[in-house]
Amino acid sequence: MTELSPATPGRAVLGIGRQQWADAWVGLKAISPLLIGSAAFGLAFGALINVAGINPWAGASASVIVAAGASQIAMVEAMRANAPAIIAILTGILINARFALYSAALAPIWAQFPMRWKLVLSYLMTDQSAVTSLQWADRYPDPVRRRWFTLGAAFPFVGVWVVGTVVGILLGPVIPAEWQIGFIVPLMFIAVLVPGLKRPAELVTLMVAGAVVLAAKGLPFGLNILVGIIAGLIAGATWETVADSRAGRNGSVESGKPDDTPDVAL
Amino acid sequence: MNPWLIFIFAAIGTYLIRLSGVLLLRDEERIPLPVRRALRMVGPAAMGAIIVSALFLDHGEWRAFGAWHLAALVAVGVAIWKRSAGWSMLAGALAFAALLAAGMS
Repeated sequence: MTELSPATPGRAVLGIGRQQWADAWVGLKAISPLLIGSAAFGLAFGALINVAGINPWAGASASVIVAAGASQIAMVEAMRANAPAIIAILTGILINARFALYSAALAPIWAQFPMRWKLVLSYLMTDQSAVTSLQWADRYPDPVRRRWFTLGAAFPFVGVWVVGTVVGILLGPVIPAEWQIGFIVPLMFIAVLVPGLKRPAELVTLMVAGAVVLAAKGLPFGLNILVGIIAGLIAGATWETVADSRAGRNGSVESGKPDDTPDVAL
Repeated sequence: MNPWLIFIFAAIGTYLIRLSGVLLLRDEERIPLPVRRALRMVGPAAMGAIIVSALFLDHGEWRAFGAWHLAALVAVGVAIWKRSAGWSMLAGALAFAALLAAGMS
């Protein structure tokens, strides 16, 4: 992991201070391993638009205005299957419902940001940048530096997604189907999540979420994912509660901070 | 229906979802403790759910055991070993390419 550089004084560039550029650069570096995944997945979505014969301008705009890959693919597939429009829209929105949870988790971390920053950073919110923002929050206690770091991670990730989409629409399916580019999705999520896993409660959360996703695989509209996420959250919170009360009974202080301390680290 | 309208409605809905917590939950102290605890687990819960779904399911049916699972194991192993997203991506992608080249699917 990159350590924070000391404050960098200097002249502003493009009206933005050197320190802000430096913090955004750290954000970009933090997300950089995932950028190729975002671009490749964008390429695959663009190719799907091309093959499905959907208006290319509408397809490219989707990557700009929806900016959430899995939901976009599901909506295109619903359109190809001639599903009613309301089903296509609902499918997309349900797949994106998990962002409400990221948004709630990010609320205390972004609380001191100005409103216009909240509006922009929320628009740029993806799984990858949300988790990066959560994982790095405690290394950026200063809200100004924190918001530039977050922007530096979130904007390029969406940017290369859009560029990938446009290239995919123009070129069509250049990535052979045998390459199974879909593997990039779990790979990206493993890469962003696993290195930051520390606490037993996180493992419990992950395993319960995964088990419930599989047990509920018969649910329509990808609802099994949502049910799995919520089950995982309940399991993780329960685990922490039990662990804390045990630690309390033993008079141990190993469980860490008191609960009133805002614990922003994942 | 016009794909434009489908994407626009989904975009509005998605943006409101992304804004919801950030705008509504301004005072962390007022969130009940169990909910705060649960929210700290959002990363592992959401990503875990998506990882497991992608690895084990394919359009709602079980994915046959093969390259996806083995390459994911490599990526997880390297992620734990190196504690690095970059190495994990690289190792997982190389393992996946090698397994596909070896005829696995």
